[in-house]
Amino acid sequence: MGLRETAWRVTARELESSLEEEKGRGDRAPTYLWSPFGARMSRVLLAGTLSPGEPIGRDEPTSFWRARLSDPTGAVGVTAGSFQPRAMNQLRSATAARPAIVVGRAHLFRTRDGVGAVSVRAEGIRSVAEGQERGVLAEIVRQTLDRLDLMERLEKEPTVSVDTLRGDGIPAAWIAAGRESLRRYPNVDRPAFRRELRAAVRRVAGDSGPSRSPTPLPASVTRTVVPPVRTTLPAPTAAERAEESLFLDFVDEVSEVSPDGYADLKEVILRSAERGLASERAERVLNRLEEEGVLEEPIVGKLRRA
Amino acid sequence: MADDDPSPTVPEVRLRDLRPTSSPVEVVGRIVSLQRREIVRKSDGGRRPLLAGQLSDGTASVRFTWWDPPREGLERGTILRATGVEVGEFRGRPELTFSWKTRVGPASAAELPRIDPESLPLRTVDSLRTSDEAFRLEVRVARVAERTVSVGEERRVVYDGLVGDRTGVIALSAWSDFSLRAGEAVRVVGGYVRAFRGRPQLVIDERTTIVRIEGAALPEAAHLVRATPRSIADLEDAGGAEVAAIEGIVVGLVSPSGVVYRCPTCRRTTTGGICRLHGQVEPYADLRARIVLDDGTGAATVSAGKEATEALWGISLDQARKRLREQPDPTVLEEELFELLLGRRLRVRGSATKDDFGVTILPESIEAAEVDLDGAADELGARLEGRG
Repeated sequence: MGLRETAWRVTARELESSLEEEKGRGDRAPTYLWSPFGARMSRVLLAGTLSPGEPIGRDEPTSFWRARLSDPTGAVGVTAGSFQPRAMNQLRSATAARPAIVVGRAHLFRTRDGVGAVSVRAEGIRSVAEGQERGVLAEIVRQTLDRLDLMERLEKEPTVSVDTLRGDGIPAAWIAAGRESLRRYPNVDRPAFRRELRAAVRRVAGDSGPSRSPTPLPASVTRTVVPPVRTTLPAPTAAERAEESLFLDFVDEVSEVSPDGYADLKEVILRSAERGLASERAERVLNRLEEEGVLEEPIVGKLRRA
Repeated sequence: MADDDPSPTVPEVRLRDLRPTSSPVEVVGRIVSLQRREIVRKSDGGRRPLLAGQLSDGTASVRFTWWDPPREGLERGTILRATGVEVGEFRGRPELTFSWKTRVGPASAAELPRIDPESLPLRTVDSLRTSDEAFRLEVRVARVAERTVSVGEERRVVYDGLVGDRTGVIALSAWSDFSLRAGEAVRVVGGYVRAFRGRPQLVIDERTTIVRIEGAALPEAAHLVRATPRSIADLEDAGGAEVAAIEGIVVGLVSPSGVVYRCPTCRRTTTGGICRLHGQVEPYADLRARIVLDDGTGAATVSAGKEATEALWGISLDQARKRLREQPDPTVLEEELFELLLGRRLRVRGSATKDDFGVTILPESIEAAEVDLDGAADELGARLEGRG
């Protein structure tokens, strides 16, 4: 109990490829995201170029901000709300892209076409000198390679004992995560992912400039979930999608601190209103999310993700 | 205390040789610790006094429970002979119970088993476990420092230190002054091992014999306090270490950090001038940082005191308090400290303990760690190209 979650060193690419989730059991248990490359993440540590933040929601004062963190392998969304005031302040105050280190919680969202997208809710963001960013990136690549080597070994010697591996200095948590990743992602091309790390090593060496927001890479693992049958609703606009994402964040925020794990509807609506999503709009968003099976209301007035 | 002759049919047993048995035994031993308690009967609320503690005869020490003990005449150091003692077992270790059937009388030191130091096994530091005694140990003193503690009403001087041999190091707690100096090699006979904050600790007291030896085979003191860097996961597995070195990135700061107010009696942090133990107090200001350091294998809390925090922060306690007068919100300062530390790579050396919340390091030194970027790029490039 009580042990602090380790901050897994990961690249943006690894997060983009992570589409398996494990809901924690019990009150306030963290949710874990499984990567195909041997990580079982609640907390993550990333280094890269952070874009200027933009507010989510139209009305002032907005208290939810979003930015993108790009490293040489990919890019991932970074969000911060009023529950993370120091991180939110970092997103709000930045006007230009700059090298940064981000510590936060990995979250998996499913968009309406069934594709998963990972974002990081920041707990801490620090703008750093380029050398420092490259130093952290070096550690990220090294530990990623360590995990890939471990998985290769687990594949070759499926019966190798935990004690033997621990004797070689491999943390028990890595061994368990490596085995589970192999089970959950049996067909992933790990050598291809290893090759993608070359760009990160060039960055460590200083051969490439700061990471730009890259053109979106095709995810190496795409899991398509058949979307629920749509009834009469027209396709939502981009603005409506943004509202949905915001609303879901509120649900997560409220349920995270609620004793029974459900988000109280009134509180979510109240919070939405405070942050610029008027209650009638919030109700519409809620209805849409319920119809699509993203949210459910098992008890009247209590929400949870389906 | 009844002072009858011991029954000749019951053999006297060395504590080392105790085994749980249905037939009562006779033992001789010295009380090394004792505590008086009362048990409230559930049925009628009646109170029954008992004495619990440790009894040692030099071969081992065992827990004992004495129901309805005499009101006086018993203290730490008392030597007694008991016949008709029941031997039970608790968590795999023998335990003695003195009941109404037990006859207890005073005994003299001469009646304790005579222990020839040469007959005791010579142990290595890594083989020592909590509650071990009756061993010989040859170690070098790595460091030792005097400290005053309160034992009940009494103030006592203890000597805390660290000793070690080729197999490892163990904390030392000396309750008598043996004039130990760092660098000395000693043979210890009559010490015992107890658990202190979850870590084994070698205790030596007035019953212990210390002999200076040459100790040519023992590592130098400087070598004993040197720690090779290890992963936090490894430190968690080991349950802590007397000397540990880790390197990681700061990912968090445990609240309250920065300026804190402490109880003048117990040094606990106070909330609104209220100490958890001593109620309303006149607290004094202090500086601390409880830093969450993470190396990707695990996370540890580094508990930095005033000097270390001042060094990391670059401002003194007085400056911090001045700022607090201008901006009377301690969380602002805490935020500032977090912003400053977040993402920094630190190398920390100190002692590590482990509890339900993970590993905590009491740092002896905290320093910024640099990354050799060119070296890292070469190494990582080679690892990547090696496979393709």
